[in-house]
Amino acid sequence: MMHIFEEGLALLRRRGAVSAVLALSMAVPMALAGFTTSLSLWSRPLVALESHATVVRVLLHPRMDVAQRQAWIAEQARNHRDWRLSEIDRETLEERLQVWFPYLEDLLEGEHAIELPTLVEIEAGDPEEVTALAEGPAVIAVGPTSSIDRVLGLTARTMTWLLGAISVILLASAFLLAATWIHLEVFRHADEITIMRLVGATESAIRSPFVVAALIPGICAGLAASVGAWYLIRMVAIAVEAVGLSAPVFPPWLVAAEIGVGVVLPMAAALVTMARHARVGETD
Amino acid sequence: MIRLRNLTKTYDGRRILRGIDLQVEAGEFLFLTGASGAGKSTLLKLLYAAERPSDGGVWVAGQRVDQLSRHKLALLRRKIGVIFQDFKLLRHKTVLENVTFVLRFHGLRTREAHRRAYQVLKRLGLHHRQSALPEVLSGGEQQRVAIARALAYQPRLILADEPTGNLDADLAGELLSLLCDINYQGATIMVATHDHALLEAMPARTLVLHQGRIEYDGSWPP
Repeated sequence: MMHIFEEGLALLRRRGAVSAVLALSMAVPMALAGFTTSLSLWSRPLVALESHATVVRVLLHPRMDVAQRQAWIAEQARNHRDWRLSEIDRETLEERLQVWFPYLEDLLEGEHAIELPTLVEIEAGDPEEVTALAEGPAVIAVGPTSSIDRVLGLTARTMTWLLGAISVILLASAFLLAATWIHLEVFRHADEITIMRLVGATESAIRSPFVVAALIPGICAGLAASVGAWYLIRMVAIAVEAVGLSAPVFPPWLVAAEIGVGVVLPMAAALVTMARHARVGETD
Repeated sequence: MIRLRNLTKTYDGRRILRGIDLQVEAGEFLFLTGASGAGKSTLLKLLYAAERPSDGGVWVAGQRVDQLSRHKLALLRRKIGVIFQDFKLLRHKTVLENVTFVLRFHGLRTREAHRRAYQVLKRLGLHHRQSALPEVLSGGEQQRVAIARALAYQPRLILADEPTGNLDADLAGELLSLLCDINYQGATIMVATHDHALLEAMPARTLVLHQGRIEYDGSWPP
């Protein structure tokens, strides 16, 4: 086991500058992936807004009596079990309307007093479903169905998916970098691999030093990526705080995650590449 | 130790070995000789599975080498010490490391591997060059490193392809004496050479290859 580690270190020593370049090249996409992941986490509370129920207001025909209104509400509640319907009483409705129409009191009193329609508030998961009620004879109007919460939530969800996809692409590019480096090293050492095979080295003895040689730049890349991601998040936080919004934070576990990715990615790249080029150095 | 049945090897339609049958018992010392292109090196390569036969079978230490899995082949090769004609040294490793790295994957610890490698290098007169890289060594010195590597792990079978090709007469004699010692300890030795002085210096079973066939099998001179 120890000699495999020594062989891996020997490979690294011989290609010190190239290994450092590999570590830095991997660190860039890994740092960006960490940054986008943090932003994605930051936007998560906004995503939850999308699932908040939207209240849609419906005006019922003023000629409907109490029994008709209650029958209509009961029917809607029966047909749409996820809706929460509540009839706004006349006093509350008048109070609300008077904020916008100061002369409402005059209109509602006297010989030619107008009759207020009944307002029903419907809390629905999908407000678009409520729109269909406008086609019925009992309903004279359906209020706006969109809400700022939903728009914010939808935008945040789209951003989360987009950032997630960008993170995956960035990590894939880090994987490809490691795989390409190992591919080149395998071909550079084809003669040595041949000799090792001829003197009785098993496949694991041949491959393991390459895994070790890829692992160490990977761990360095993980550390560098943590610093890079922290710096990027700090920059965004300063900008966001300046406009009075809650700033994204650098989660401490991201350091462990970056180092973990730095271990797993080059290891996987080494194993996949070595398996693909297992015949390199075979003599017939 | 070695069994060949109807062994044939063809390169691009040209038959290098033609239906060779051979039995070599454990502990035998065997010379393989013949003109250049007679098939000596090819025969050795087939024994350590650097080549696969076009027809026939090769058995070494009871195992059919051309049908072994990679892992089993690696384990079999650990029982075979090969002295390559072109040395096959690792150019990034020092003389000592070239010998110890083989011992390390035979399971020896660093200290023991270094001790044993140093002993073999000393016996071959190379201990003073243990820190040198192969590229600064002469052809003869490189050959001795290749020999040291093959002998260090005390294999049961030693295959040597022109082992004295780059050595002067004294060193060639010293190498032969070393191979004899190892043979007395029970190892099977097969030496491919066209050096008749070597054949005359050591009475042993000799195979003469001619145009891919065994032309003579017996003591030297025929």
